Amino acid sequence: MFRPALSQAVLIRAGLAAALGLVVFSAAAQTTTRPTTTQPTTAQPSAESVTRGGYVLWAAGCLSCHTDSKNKGQPLAGGRALPTPFGTFYPPNITPDRDTGIGGWTVEDLSRALREGRAPDGRHYYPAFPYTSYTGMADQDVADLWAYLMAQPPVARANQSHELPLPFRFRALLGIWKAMYFEPGRFAGNPAKDATWNRGAYLVAALGHCGECHTPRGALGGMDGDRPLAGTAKGPQGKKVPNITPHAKEGIGDWRESDTTFFLKTGFFPDGDVAGGAMAEVIDDGTSHLNDADRAAIAAYLRDLPPLPGP
Amino acid sequence: MRKITLAIAASLLVGAASPAFAVDEPENMIKYRKAVMSAIGGHTGAIAGVVKGEVSFVGHVEAHARGINEMSKLITQLFPTGTDNGAFKDTRALPAIWQDRAKFDAAAQALQDESAKLIEVAQGGDAGAIGAQLQNVGKACGGCHKPFRAEKK
Repeated sequence: MFRPALSQAVLIRAGLAAALGLVVFSAAAQTTTRPTTTQPTTAQPSAESVTRGGYVLWAAGCLSCHTDSKNKGQPLAGGRALPTPFGTFYPPNITPDRDTGIGGWTVEDLSRALREGRAPDGRHYYPAFPYTSYTGMADQDVADLWAYLMAQPPVARANQSHELPLPFRFRALLGIWKAMYFEPGRFAGNPAKDATWNRGAYLVAALGHCGECHTPRGALGGMDGDRPLAGTAKGPQGKKVPNITPHAKEGIGDWRESDTTFFLKTGFFPDGDVAGGAMAEVIDDGTSHLNDADRAAIAAYLRDLPPLPGP
Repeated sequence: MRKITLAIAASLLVGAASPAFAVDEPENMIKYRKAVMSAIGGHTGAIAGVVKGEVSFVGHVEAHARGINEMSKLITQLFPTGTDNGAFKDTRALPAIWQDRAKFDAAAQALQDESAKLIEVAQGGDAGAIGAQLQNVGKACGGCHKPFRAEKK
């Protein structure tokens, strides 16, 4: 079975391990963007690492984009059309198939993809793949995710090219884009805040990549650092994406933390309506599988954001 | 005299406010189905209050579940042809409903089934089990809203 049934205890352990990893990591004050890995690639990953990786997969919401659910595609085998204002992307096969998937990847390869936006051959990835957020991922989470992905059934499904107009077709231009908008670096945390806040910040900013949709973007698709999570009239799929800062009128200032956790678990808004569109996928393939502590951490962090008006 | 003037004024006002549409006209249908959907949302919101532990009325959940179940039986009648968001701006109902009516009707049936289960679970009085089944009801709501309802503008 592909979707792991994780016991609460395992989930809590995974959460703790991740939180611990975070603390250790912020203490180390990384200055290099070159990923350091905690696990030699030749070693067989432990069962615990695979289990934790399954949880990382939910928290990072990998399934929605990398599975062509509409056409009954295999989980993680790619090919789902992702229409954006910059063209249509087809996320790749990330099952461990040697020829068409990532079966030949080392944990370093995965790390470079997630945290530097580069393929094993050095090519730049388009930021439709949210490495702009994943760059904050902790070493342990990357290693665990790799362990999980490599433990999945390989699916032979060749990748297809993105359908992009000029000039976006020129991958080399991405180097310039990245120089302008991509800030590589691990999630550093805020020592002035408690562990719950820091866990929430990590889940929202790095793994959950919430800002990829909820933060407005400039003309060239860079996220607006002054308006984090303040919503946008025109999201990645051309639709309105709500403001999730605690602004009283235009954000979710009237949501209690229990409203947020309940929404992330069930998809129900406080008024009894139910989420649709992209957020329904985020909940189905992500936040509904997280443990209560992590959903509470997300809610606590969002509650503490600077309230911004808009979009 | 003053009373008569008021009476005339009042009747004029009522006349102005009376519906300009005939029975079952699309605008009225849309308004009515939104009211029915809000009723369902009201009941789920109320159950959510119990599941979140904000109120202790576990004994009320069955009544709300029955409300959802009764309303869910009406859904397929609420979408006559031509009441989509292309023709009318006050609705988010997508034309896909009429392009794949069988799928739409099946999705409406799923809400009937899941809300019927919620009635049963509610009789057990276990807030945790109610929460789990409410999640399945939510999936059934999403089963219609995801393919057939436009996102908010």
